[in-house]
Amino acid sequence: MPPYIEECRREWKRLGVPDSLAEEMAAELEADLAEAEADGVSAAEILGESDPRRFARTWATERGLVPEPQPKKNRTWMWITASLVLLVFLLLVFPAFAIVGVSSGGSETVDVSPVRRAGPIRVPKLLGLPVCKAVVTANIAGLDAHAPNGSCSALVVRQKPRAGAVVAGNTAGTSFVKLWVRPARG
Amino acid sequence: MRRMAAESRRSQMLRGVLDLCLLAVVVDEPAYGYEMTRRLKERGLSTVGEGSIYPLLGRLERDGLVATHRAASDGGPPRKYYRTSPSGRSALAEGVRAWRDVRNEVDSVLAAVEAEVA
Repeated sequence: MPPYIEECRREWKRLGVPDSLAEEMAAELEADLAEAEADGVSAAEILGESDPRRFARTWATERGLVPEPQPKKNRTWMWITASLVLLVFLLLVFPAFAIVGVSSGGSETVDVSPVRRAGPIRVPKLLGLPVCKAVVTANIAGLDAHAPNGSCSALVVRQKPRAGAVVAGNTAGTSFVKLWVRPARG
Repeated sequence: MRRMAAESRRSQMLRGVLDLCLLAVVVDEPAYGYEMTRRLKERGLSTVGEGSIYPLLGRLERDGLVATHRAASDGGPPRKYYRTSPSGRSALAEGVRAWRDVRNEVDSVLAAVEAEVA
């Protein structure tokens, strides 16, 4: 059997084409190529494809013996979708994790970077809030919050700047609020 | 370069109608693969362009447009014969109509430039 056809058979085997059908195609090809050669017709003219594996794959696919490869377009859409999901994760979920991490962190003070806003920011009222909620509230307003380490349920007893004060946004130096806390009772 | 481009264009144009040509050469009498190539040549289609007729025959078989059987050939090994099936005949008739429509439309458009090219 010519090497080209041997290679085709290997490819059909690899693709899971049933042996009987692979045998049938190989026999068909071998007989046709032999007759073409006797007529002085080149194998290239009959096969039209120099790569036996690609030829074998195309033939088997067209016969419906192996599943057709996914169109490239679909893969492109898959990648676009995956990228968008990742982007959403990074924009929404990751900051949320960072905030939650505040409550269990062991550092001296809380320091979570909020999304900075351009323009002035009115400092929200944080007094009386559990420290974790105060930090989130400050972040939502566009402020960094600095608080001493402690329980997440510790209550804010003092804040600086005071609630209602207006600070410049979009700068790390001015857009933060410092919190003092006391442990929650009970 | 221009020759390669011309070959490529020919190949692309053939791709859309080669299935009809294959159905046409076995509509009256069955033939095996190489015999079909020979019939195409006899009717004026010397090369089928890039690719081969086998994948196309595979698709025609899968779609039920050709019926196949194995039979002994003259002095050689048993061969797989193809013959246009009843649904293949319908597809052929429909395809020929579509081809002629397209050919006429394209001819109408290109007729104006034919003299210039010639």
